[in-house]
Amino acid sequence: MLGAWFDYTVNGFVIGNIYALLAVGLALIYGVANLVNFAHGSVYVVGAYVGWAAITYLGTPLPVTLLCVVVVCALVGVGIERLGLRPLHGASRIAPLLATIGIALVLDQVVQLIFSPDPRAVPMQVPDWRITLGGGTIGALDLLIAGIGLTSAAVLYGFLRFTKLGWAVRATAQDSDAAKQMGVDTDRVNLVVFAIASALSGISGVLVGMYYNQINPAMSFEATLKGIVALIIGGLGNVPGAIGGSLILGLTESYGIALFGTSYRNLFAFVLLIAMLVWRPNGLFAARRSLPPEPMTGTFIARSRPLKVPSWAVAVVILLAALLPLLDAPYLLQIGANSLMYAMLALSLTLVAGTVGQVSLGHAALLAIGGYASGLLALDAGWPVAVAIPAAGLITAALGTLLVFPAFRLTGHYVSIATLGIGEIVSLVILNWTGLTRGAIGLGGIPPLEVFGYDLGSVQGTYWLCLVVLVLLALLQVRLLNSHLGRSWRAIRDDSVAARSYGVSGDRYKALAFGYGGFAAGISGAITAHAYSYINHETFGATISILALTMVILGGLGNVVGAVLGATLLIALPEAFRFLAEYRILIYGIVLLLLIRFRPQGLMGTV
Amino acid sequence: MMPLRRRSILTGLVAGAMASGPARAADPVFVGVSGPLTGPNAQYGAQWKDAFDLALAEVNPTAAHPVRYVFEDSQSDPRQSVAIAQKFVNDPRIVMELGDFSSPASMAASPIYQRAKLVQFGFTNSHPDFTKGGDYMWSNSISQAEEQPSLADFAVAGLGRKRLGVIHLNTDWGVTSKNLFAAAVQAKGAEVTAAEGFLPNERDFRSTLVRIRDSNPDGIVLIAYYADAATIIRQIRTLGLTQPIVAVSSVYSPKLLELGGDAVNGVHVITTFFPEEPRPEVQRFVASFRAKYSREPDTFNATAYDTMILVSTLVNQFGTTRAAIRDGLSKVRGVPSVIYGTMQFDQATRRVEGARYKRLLVQGGKFVLWQGGTPS
Amino acid sequence: MAPILEVRGLRKHFGGVTAVADATLDLHEGELLSIIGPNGAGKTTLFNLISGLDLPDAGSVRLFGQDATGAPPERLAGLGMARTFQHGRVFGNLSVLDNVLVGAHSRLRAVKPAVPIIGPLLEFALAAIRPAAVRAEEAALRADAIRILSVFGDRLIPRLDHPAFSLSYANRRRVEIARALALHPRLLLLDEPTAGMNQTETVEMQEVVADLKRSGLTILLIEHKLEMVMRLSDRVIVMDNGNRIAEGLPQEVRRDPAVIEAYLGHRATGGAAAGAAVEPAP
Repeated sequence: MLGAWFDYTVNGFVIGNIYALLAVGLALIYGVANLVNFAHGSVYVVGAYVGWAAITYLGTPLPVTLLCVVVVCALVGVGIERLGLRPLHGASRIAPLLATIGIALVLDQVVQLIFSPDPRAVPMQVPDWRITLGGGTIGALDLLIAGIGLTSAAVLYGFLRFTKLGWAVRATAQDSDAAKQMGVDTDRVNLVVFAIASALSGISGVLVGMYYNQINPAMSFEATLKGIVALIIGGLGNVPGAIGGSLILGLTESYGIALFGTSYRNLFAFVLLIAMLVWRPNGLFAARRSLPPEPMTGTFIARSRPLKVPSWAVAVVILLAALLPLLDAPYLLQIGANSLMYAMLALSLTLVAGTVGQVSLGHAALLAIGGYASGLLALDAGWPVAVAIPAAGLITAALGTLLVFPAFRLTGHYVSIATLGIGEIVSLVILNWTGLTRGAIGLGGIPPLEVFGYDLGSVQGTYWLCLVVLVLLALLQVRLLNSHLGRSWRAIRDDSVAARSYGVSGDRYKALAFGYGGFAAGISGAITAHAYSYINHETFGATISILALTMVILGGLGNVVGAVLGATLLIALPEAFRFLAEYRILIYGIVLLLLIRFRPQGLMGTV
Repeated sequence: MMPLRRRSILTGLVAGAMASGPARAADPVFVGVSGPLTGPNAQYGAQWKDAFDLALAEVNPTAAHPVRYVFEDSQSDPRQSVAIAQKFVNDPRIVMELGDFSSPASMAASPIYQRAKLVQFGFTNSHPDFTKGGDYMWSNSISQAEEQPSLADFAVAGLGRKRLGVIHLNTDWGVTSKNLFAAAVQAKGAEVTAAEGFLPNERDFRSTLVRIRDSNPDGIVLIAYYADAATIIRQIRTLGLTQPIVAVSSVYSPKLLELGGDAVNGVHVITTFFPEEPRPEVQRFVASFRAKYSREPDTFNATAYDTMILVSTLVNQFGTTRAAIRDGLSKVRGVPSVIYGTMQFDQATRRVEGARYKRLLVQGGKFVLWQGGTPS
Repeated sequence: MAPILEVRGLRKHFGGVTAVADATLDLHEGELLSIIGPNGAGKTTLFNLISGLDLPDAGSVRLFGQDATGAPPERLAGLGMARTFQHGRVFGNLSVLDNVLVGAHSRLRAVKPAVPIIGPLLEFALAAIRPAAVRAEEAALRADAIRILSVFGDRLIPRLDHPAFSLSYANRRRVEIARALALHPRLLLLDEPTAGMNQTETVEMQEVVADLKRSGLTILLIEHKLEMVMRLSDRVIVMDNGNRIAEGLPQEVRRDPAVIEAYLGHRATGGAAAGAAVEPAP
């Protein structure tokens, strides 16, 4: 048995080794640009395909292959910084984060269009000798990956400590405004950092491709996710820490498998993530235990004057929306119903992320809780649908608030990453809690929508139900925003420290916001579950969380009308772009980037 | 891809304009396809298209009613598959729907198809509840209730294994399959020593394999798709595990050889589709696929090809209305099929039974028929 | 009579740096006590320790006769302590009026019943339903906020609905003081209320603070402008490097050689450092 533990340890190091290459680049970018780069995994995919193309079409030997990858990926990195991020200087802090999500979408689609979605084998260019270690073996490629990881960390460390440009990078990381005043060309620093980090990411892509003899365009999200977890464990912006964090993540996963089985692997990784954020938010390797100081003034959301929509105009739009079913256009109506379901989610998120400033990247988990709660109440407890749905809303409100509670003390990017982790945990618990949720088989045969015997399963019925529920939720939300709760929430967002000094308790009001947000999202999930009749742990995945955030930012953070508009547009646009066939998601990504670039405060403006 | 799509949409418009009149001999009949062309499952949608185009190029020139398809990209996402369902059910040209790829996407759309009485033919949906969605849900996907006993028979009776370690995809398909497999193995007096479920997109299986190794099996069973299987098999071999490997039919693909390299030599696979099978349906399919796409077809291609041949048969034998298609599915007999030999549907389950399983072995980088004998 | 604020032996380290070494002070009802000292003397850290934003490493704080060492800022606000911040931390996206209303948060009663456990749920329900009592309370707070804002003449009254980020720097500082007054504090901590203000604005602010003092409010003031300190203070504490180096009446402190040394010494090196920092800039 001891032998097995030795093997689990070796395996943990081997996989941690691979995460390290990703985490080092992410750490470098976070350190300088204060940004969690969600496009990092996409650059990794670009690197993998560039390497594959060089070997396959040009027959390059390993050093030339790596050189090609470094050059192309560094250029991609420069492009991301120059075109995607630099124009956002001075925009709200959330804009660059969202831009990296948009860039990831575009890069993934471009790779898929050029190279097809088929998985490819990357020819091994490293000698295939292996040494036996315990019950398994370690190959030359393992050592090469470890070598590159350690060398790049060492070189970066030396560069940051002992060169003039490295000094400038560190100065920029400490305080970019002050660095600028001291004569540091921060734009150039950012450019260099993105080039280095992207080149590193590309190299890891091609090496990991060789390692598994397989690459595909869909592998980017997982890479980004694991890199970010490793980054948090090591400490945001801490380059040597990133390597340590990666190894710890690898070990945690390996021991998690050893103790509970393969399907618990990611659960362990994300529980570790949350534990780190709560107890050691600066990473395992930081001396300081508390969070870095707050910004002196509220720069969280873009400053804007929201567009005021007169209430008669809102009433007219609601009336027109109510009359839409008379058109007899079921496809349009279905898109309408989908938009309304997502608008409920967007209402919830615009409150939490916009009004209270807790940018949640795991909001789809609330849909999942609502959907499963209502589905199980109707299926197993035999509750009428019309009772199960509001009950699911309340359950989601309670459970959602409870789950996010540990993250209440966090701010900024930490909240986003924590909620991302909580979202994954919910999905993995649903997958593994087979006794309650039926695991991967999912919930089938969920009864259709009906209100006390009145069938709402038709597209008209679903649409009307959603419209009524949405209007009620939106009116309630507007009423709350106009009460003392609204100003307390916004005060917490703008400056939580000043708010506390005036008796506005962060925990209490965040809990109320998440409670209401959980209720709205839970209702949305519940209606969705009854409309779909079947849901499983994948129905409400991480991509929906990101979509919801995009809706909210597009509409204008905190803006109720904006959230509904954002949801409608982002559900309708991909449908409207259907004639573009394979290109539609690419176009959608580009539209998104342009919106962030030219209207960072959202269409209706932040509130 | 683009020129082809535009053409089909254009002819679609013309046909739509004439849909009110009685169908003439040259009028095409439309089926809707809801499947992934972008997103993480895009590769499967692309495979479908290749096979559909091949089948239609074969049957349309001689058919009284040529078939065309309208492919809508759902990304295998339920939100989009329900919108597509509304589009299809309200498009009077569409007489039948094919897809979606994943169970969540298909089954979310089922209530809409059922209400509108349009057949939803989920040809990749093996979820046991899919056809329970209503009497308009049909499928010719391989029944795991049939496949898993066959796999168990290969492992236990064929290869003489008594203790099997199972690695399965942790999805509705993988879990259903694993449960059926375990039951079948038990019935044959052997046992499953460990069953480990992995998530899609996972790449590292070393620690999973240590668990499998320590359960001390004399054979390893893979319930996975070919891409993951290739990765798992490579890691089985680099970890120095030497037990024979047996895999389900979704592992059979020429891509397995490409992605697995030398490591996949000696792997045993059952399959419903094998290009070297001498049956004429198989040989015709393989030859024309190779000629058109210069590569080897796999099971996904074969299933999609079978499906489109079935559509053409239904349309031309039973009529070009939705009701006729529904009726035809319950009556049709002996449709030539690459997978099944001939296809007919069980009235109770609305699925096809009687897939023929071939036992294969990878030898010298090629799939060959397994000739018996226990592995070394 | 017991002092309103009693600070004993307060200490705080950041890494290797001692920000506050051994702070001790008493503040009596109606008194205005000023803390002066060069930059980095530990004044703001002391404020943060007293107002609950930072935890002391040692020492104790008693407020209105209760132990308040390391108490969370919410509780201190509830007891009647209000503070302003060195750089002016108004809520940028809130209107002027809403900023001041947040200051009155701890005075909410009707909408925020003091019920344990279900209190937050009741608060939520009352905010949604808004019965007459809640509406009346809100209206009263609004009227009060406007009354407080009129302390600054017509500087802020015409801008009630403007978001705070659109205000001038001086106006933002005024909003901050109005927000603090909306708490109806028994103790007010002012951190450099005139920083960044011109001569006229400073004089105006000085008058406001003088009025507050006249009305009997107890004030703890950090200020750089010595003229204002001398005019308003009942007592002055001088800090340097985290230590109290002098305490007494304004005129006494002014003549203290240690104070003069600390100020001149620091000003000289501080000026040189500032000059060096500015020069290489393009």
